[in-house]
Amino acid sequence: MESSNFIMDFLNWLMSFEPKAIVLAASAIGAGFAMIAGIGPGVGQGYAAGKGAEAVSRNPKALRETTMVMLLGAAVAETSGILALVVALIMLFGNPLINLEGNALVIMASAIGAGLAMIAGVGPGIGQGYAAGKGTEATGKRPKMQSQIVRTMLVGQAVAQTTGIYALVIALVLLFANPLL
Amino acid sequence: MGSEGFGPRIAFTIQNIPGIGDIPVSETVTVTWLIIAVLFVFSIIVTRNMKKEPKGLQLVVEQLVSTINNLTKQNMGERNYAWAPYVGTLLLFIGISNIIGLLGFRPPTADLNTTMCLSITTFVLTQVFGVKSKGLGGYTKGFLQPMPFLLPLNIVGELANPISLGFRLFGNISAGVIIMSLLYGALGSFTEMLFGLTVPLLQAGIPAVLHIYFDLFAGLLQSFIFTMLTMVFISGAME
Repeated sequence: MESSNFIMDFLNWLMSFEPKAIVLAASAIGAGFAMIAGIGPGVGQGYAAGKGAEAVSRNPKALRETTMVMLLGAAVAETSGILALVVALIMLFGNPLINLEGNALVIMASAIGAGLAMIAGVGPGIGQGYAAGKGTEATGKRPKMQSQIVRTMLVGQAVAQTTGIYALVIALVLLFANPLL
Repeated sequence: MGSEGFGPRIAFTIQNIPGIGDIPVSETVTVTWLIIAVLFVFSIIVTRNMKKEPKGLQLVVEQLVSTINNLTKQNMGERNYAWAPYVGTLLLFIGISNIIGLLGFRPPTADLNTTMCLSITTFVLTQVFGVKSKGLGGYTKGFLQPMPFLLPLNIVGELANPISLGFRLFGNISAGVIIMSLLYGALGSFTEMLFGLTVPLLQAGIPAVLHIYFDLFAGLLQSFIFTMLTMVFISGAME
């Protein structure tokens, strides 16, 4: 039982600090974790940009239409990055956990958990970027179908966002309406 | 949610109603009243003195109406063309709500109450018209597809639709509101630090780019997506 002793020692060491300092430190870690979600939009938008370059090289005449679809799709793929940024900014500038009464350990874990939840944004970011890339490719092939392609792409991307939205719900619940306290 | 700092302010309180007590009326409600009034006056003005040969404003509004009509026809089929007024109302209300941040108001759609209300309306319409067009038997049978043991999953999936629909709109719009309010606060303190002024100097001009992205682009896109998904859900339930 060496390890459990170590964990108990660690927790006791943690509780020896001021509760507010623990919560602030955990918020810093949580804000950092939240921004890991940026991987998703990065990969997705890179894929969309690559597909855009490919589509333009195949059909240079459709440059305007292709670029428009690529930018539109990439902007939607950015959403999970923005949601993660919002959670991180809330923890840095408008942290509601600091003034909470209750077990400092639970509040600290909530801050880290809210940050970790936002990592789910990696999935929607990559998926939406993939959809944006395919939409760009299709527009390069058939520029006249642009409006239909964009419409289908946007609705599909909105549905792909769903799990990221659920992550945001959990992060906001942990921050603003914590049921564990 | 978000009552600390980022939530809607309380505009005024209706006091001492017998049996209920005080009712706080938030900014969301008053801005919604404003939007309703604007849409009401707008629709009266544009439908007055209509001419056979449209000119000016009438031409623009006719273009808008035929765009909404075509959108409904393409997404819900020729048969469900009667949904066009509802679709148009949804598009106009959410669209104006989302971009009203440009005028300095707080968008009503940045409040979870508004967005969940709209998405629950869609959910109820979906269920009611599903039962109406398929019959109670056909509607219930839909939950047992493709295998009977998937019933719990189907029910959870059906209930998840309004939640994700409402939170998608709320998340996107309130993200914009929070980022813009933090930016204005930061620019304000920069102005004070650099020039020692309390006049909003840096706040003029610099946030315009972010306003275009968060209010115009994201706002119009999200109103379009909400309307499109509503059409997809309702016509899907009726098939």
